[in-house]
Amino acid sequence: MSARLPLVAGEWIDRSKKFGFDFESERFQGFAGDTVSSALLAAGVRVLGRSFKYHRARSVLSMANHDVNAMFQDGARLNLRGDVEPLRDRMVLAAVNTFGGVRRDRARIFDKLSAVLPVGFYYKAFHTPKAWFPFWERMFRRVTGLGELDFSTPHIRTPKRYDFCDVLVVGAGPSGLCASLAAADAGAKVVLVDENARIGGSLTYQRGGSDDPAAQLRNLASGISAHPNISVRTGTLAAGCYADNWVALVDAERMTKIRARAIIVASGVCEQPAVFHNNDVPGVMLASAAQRLIYRYAVRPMQSAVVLTGNQDGYAAALDLIANGIRVEAVVDLRRTDGGSAEEARVTEAGIRTLRGHCIYEARASGSMVGAAVICPLLTGGEADASRSETVRCDGVLMSVGYAPAAALLHQAGAAMRFDVQVGQFVPASLPGGVFAAGRVNGVYALEDRQRDGSRAGLEAAKYLGFPASAAPVVVRAAVAPSHPYPIFDHPQAKNFVDFDEDLQLKDLANAVQEGFDNIELLKRYATIGMGPSQGKHSNMNAIRVLAKLLGTTPGEVGTTTSRPFFHPVPMSHLAGRGLVPYRLTPLHSRHERAGAVFMQAGIWLRPEFYMTRGKTRLEAVREEAAAVRTGVGIIDVGTLGKMEISGPDAATFLERIYTGRFANMKVGMTRYALMLDDAGVIIDDGVVARLGEQRFYFTTTTTGSANVYREMTRLNTMWGMEVGIVNVTGAYAAVNLAGPRARDPLAGVTNLDLSAEAFPYLGVREAEIAGVPARLLRAGFVGELGYEIHVPADRACALWDALMEAGGVHGIRPFGVEAQRLLRLEKGHIIIGQDTDGLTTPLEAAVDWAVKMDKPYFVGQRSLKIVQRKNPKAKLVGFTLDSATEGKVPRECHLVIRDGKIAGRVTSIAWSPAMEKYVGLAFVSPEIIANGGGFFIRMDGGQMVPARIAKTPFYDPAGDRQKLGA
Amino acid sequence: MNVKRTSPLHDQVATLNPRWGRVRGMRMAAALAGDETVARESVAVVDLSCLDKAGVKGPEAAPWLEGLGIVVPAQANAWTGLPGSGVIARLGRGEFFLEDGAAGDTAGRVRDALGAGIAGVYPVTRQDAGIALVGRRVNELLVQTCNVNFQELDSESRTVVMTMMAGVAVLVIRQDHQNLPGFRIWCDPTYAPYLWETLTGIAAELDGGPIGTGRLLSQAAKLE
Repeated sequence: MSARLPLVAGEWIDRSKKFGFDFESERFQGFAGDTVSSALLAAGVRVLGRSFKYHRARSVLSMANHDVNAMFQDGARLNLRGDVEPLRDRMVLAAVNTFGGVRRDRARIFDKLSAVLPVGFYYKAFHTPKAWFPFWERMFRRVTGLGELDFSTPHIRTPKRYDFCDVLVVGAGPSGLCASLAAADAGAKVVLVDENARIGGSLTYQRGGSDDPAAQLRNLASGISAHPNISVRTGTLAAGCYADNWVALVDAERMTKIRARAIIVASGVCEQPAVFHNNDVPGVMLASAAQRLIYRYAVRPMQSAVVLTGNQDGYAAALDLIANGIRVEAVVDLRRTDGGSAEEARVTEAGIRTLRGHCIYEARASGSMVGAAVICPLLTGGEADASRSETVRCDGVLMSVGYAPAAALLHQAGAAMRFDVQVGQFVPASLPGGVFAAGRVNGVYALEDRQRDGSRAGLEAAKYLGFPASAAPVVVRAAVAPSHPYPIFDHPQAKNFVDFDEDLQLKDLANAVQEGFDNIELLKRYATIGMGPSQGKHSNMNAIRVLAKLLGTTPGEVGTTTSRPFFHPVPMSHLAGRGLVPYRLTPLHSRHERAGAVFMQAGIWLRPEFYMTRGKTRLEAVREEAAAVRTGVGIIDVGTLGKMEISGPDAATFLERIYTGRFANMKVGMTRYALMLDDAGVIIDDGVVARLGEQRFYFTTTTTGSANVYREMTRLNTMWGMEVGIVNVTGAYAAVNLAGPRARDPLAGVTNLDLSAEAFPYLGVREAEIAGVPARLLRAGFVGELGYEIHVPADRACALWDALMEAGGVHGIRPFGVEAQRLLRLEKGHIIIGQDTDGLTTPLEAAVDWAVKMDKPYFVGQRSLKIVQRKNPKAKLVGFTLDSATEGKVPRECHLVIRDGKIAGRVTSIAWSPAMEKYVGLAFVSPEIIANGGGFFIRMDGGQMVPARIAKTPFYDPAGDRQKLGA
Repeated sequence: MNVKRTSPLHDQVATLNPRWGRVRGMRMAAALAGDETVARESVAVVDLSCLDKAGVKGPEAAPWLEGLGIVVPAQANAWTGLPGSGVIARLGRGEFFLEDGAAGDTAGRVRDALGAGIAGVYPVTRQDAGIALVGRRVNELLVQTCNVNFQELDSESRTVVMTMMAGVAVLVIRQDHQNLPGFRIWCDPTYAPYLWETLTGIAAELDGGPIGTGRLLSQAAKLE
């Protein structure tokens, strides 16, 4: 039977546009402007979903984006909230969380088993026998979870964007509208957002049987739309508030990060349910849900209703029902006396039976729907007197017992909240600068007061921003609490739900408290209250009340749980946005591509791992590249190294303080290895310092360390106040390392620089032109051969590379990648910071104490290192070799060193050394291994043990003759 | 030797079927294939890395530059023009970035005068990638990449913004072109391919895209 009402003034549906849709294999029709739930209800479908745990029949609760038991799947789109999801033509819908459909859900058997499935049962069962755990885990994963993920879902582009405004008003109800107008009139640029499809808030549905609210809305809306300073964004949720007034706005298309100079939170309240037996049966709903159904979607929520109330709004809801042809069987008022409102008088005038000092003790089901309400008088303690119950037939129950403020944004903005007993809710005690609250979230309830409070907040925000605005008087909060202090009624048969998301009953909370989870944060985590999709919007306040009562304290003492972003779930696609993940390329990237490079990530850089050669494997290519360097000449792009310049009278002194080595005595034209520690004496970076002049140095850092080193140097110099200029030229300079016994040959063809050993010795640095490019040349030996590190301005890197490759052609020059370099340096026993060290390694452990000059007056980390020196190191980095006969699987980096069955270190580097014809590596080992002959085992992934033995480094060319070639 | 300079965006521009020109020894696209007018009416992305740059820092940098006859911005985070459509930006109390227009010579003059540095004035090698964004929809592109409100910079603004754009540290100034809103962006050249890819990708969604350097610098229209 259709539940569609005749035309309702102000309805949101467009009756001229009909949409056909399927729900669980049945065909239905709705209108444009309907939501999925309103269309189904209008079509006579009253059970919309199944509950999470017990699979009980559920339907509409709020019609306010909190109906998590009426969620649907539409193809690849899952967990659509039917109460707000716009109906579209040809939707094919199914309820989530059912086994066989919403009407014949096979899992409804869980409702019968609820006695053995109390809260936290999964913490206490299934852990033994252990072997069964995977079975239980699979079963629970199959049974739980909402919606079915379609892994073939196409990528949805949802790029984020930034936006800016003077005043952001959250909530377009009466207070938000007035706030916007007041701020905009003062000259502020206002952005007004509301999660609903239209502005108006409660004016669109809380009418009390009168046309006045609709008229007021028309008046306000025309002012808003005509105002040049106001931008309205409906269908837009203010999902989270962050530092500096950044607010995440989420709409159907994207997330917008808006920075507001001031924020007015006029987000209203969430109406709260009462707790009684079967308060979840379809047909039992919040009063505001029924009003939304009527006035927004022209849907008759029931034929005859019992209204449970604790405030005047319940009477207004009764009047709305009557005005739309719905019979009201009784108004059950939890209060014992007349509230004195006009709505109460009008209900009495209409001849509606009013039962004051009564409650609904239970809802009786008729089939899947509510069929009657059992009403009891209240005892003096607030409990129901079940001995004097009365059953009233109805097909709908409205709950209007109070509200909880939608104050998440205020919490996140840093507002202090307090429980106001008079208002019966948490209200702002203090607000941070630039943040204002207005309307019901501020504890102001009467419609006229809300509008005045909105105007007040708008003026205050404008004034805060320096716009000319007069001061407005503070609006007094509600004198009569709109929220009942304890609308919760125990029942011997339980099923009186506090949390509809997780099927938590009143007794579940009592049990949790009895088990010791007796503060709100613990209760939340143990009982999972407020942890479902609605995030406690209908359960947290009642949980606070229950806990307060059980502990004999007040809601204010119990407090609230932490309110974290986001206010509602946000689609992952919105969070992902556009993939803005920076990467860096050296100026020679195209040259590497042409040479067949296979790239690898090094930090955020892309570097050639090796160069693919036709018919060769990766390993063969790497070994050939290494062989080229050992026997001829190779060239590697080392432009990713951090590069810095430091100039000024204090430059040498500064370096002495920053690095562990000695640089003041370094001659102009020479280079020196440099090691950097943090204050704890831990190695954080290394590089080479070159002295270009008395007051001018050029130095390198590790590839990933440049930004941190520059930042740290700048920070330290700010403290030290030395006369130096530090420049990070990492990107401004390209660099290559020309290495191998024949490295001089191609270089000699493109420069007039005297490359002889006498003129340019090992560890020297020169400035000269290479192929017409101004260059800095450092004679380095990282790979253990004659080598020239050539640094040039980035825009001339390609010219340099092309010239060297051309000149080196006759000498068999070959580009080599990171893998070959790693092998070559390992043969030399040179460490790589971050690979052969970790976040705790000191120079003493890494065996680079030769680079530490403890007799200097000061360097960063020196004091800590003196303390470390007095202790025995727990591990030391050593070279090791495997038996040359080792075949098959070999250890890898990070495999454990084992001695006497115990962990005694780990491998940091390992590779097959063509030069040594065996596997060589570096490993941290315990002092006991060193003291007892140096033998140990390495345990591989499969548990195999491989024998290894400490070996002296460098493995290759221990005297260093080759890198000093001709020096 | 007349060494060829290579733009950090050369490889990206090369895929766009350019007609090549040359500016200050750097190969630049005089024009690109396709309807560039449409791109510019939306938002155009232009490689201007060819322009000559220099940097100085140090406590004596400002008076030293003034001694060369260069008018420096009075405050940090501000810029003024240089002869020949160039720019001098003050990045801090004692740090300056200079970029010549296509016809200017101030940057080279500063480098020559400074050499390896003098007391209190230190050279800063600037190899920044230079990108221009021009077009009516430029702000729509900017709000997808940066959390600075560039709409606050009007055409007369002389503010230098140092911020992150799409995760990359950039310098930005407002510089309109032929009555169209425009911005100049400089970044570390090693990030330039990523930033170019990001900006042109978003521009394409806005019906815009890259155009040749020659559209903004007539000198680049001289074909190779």
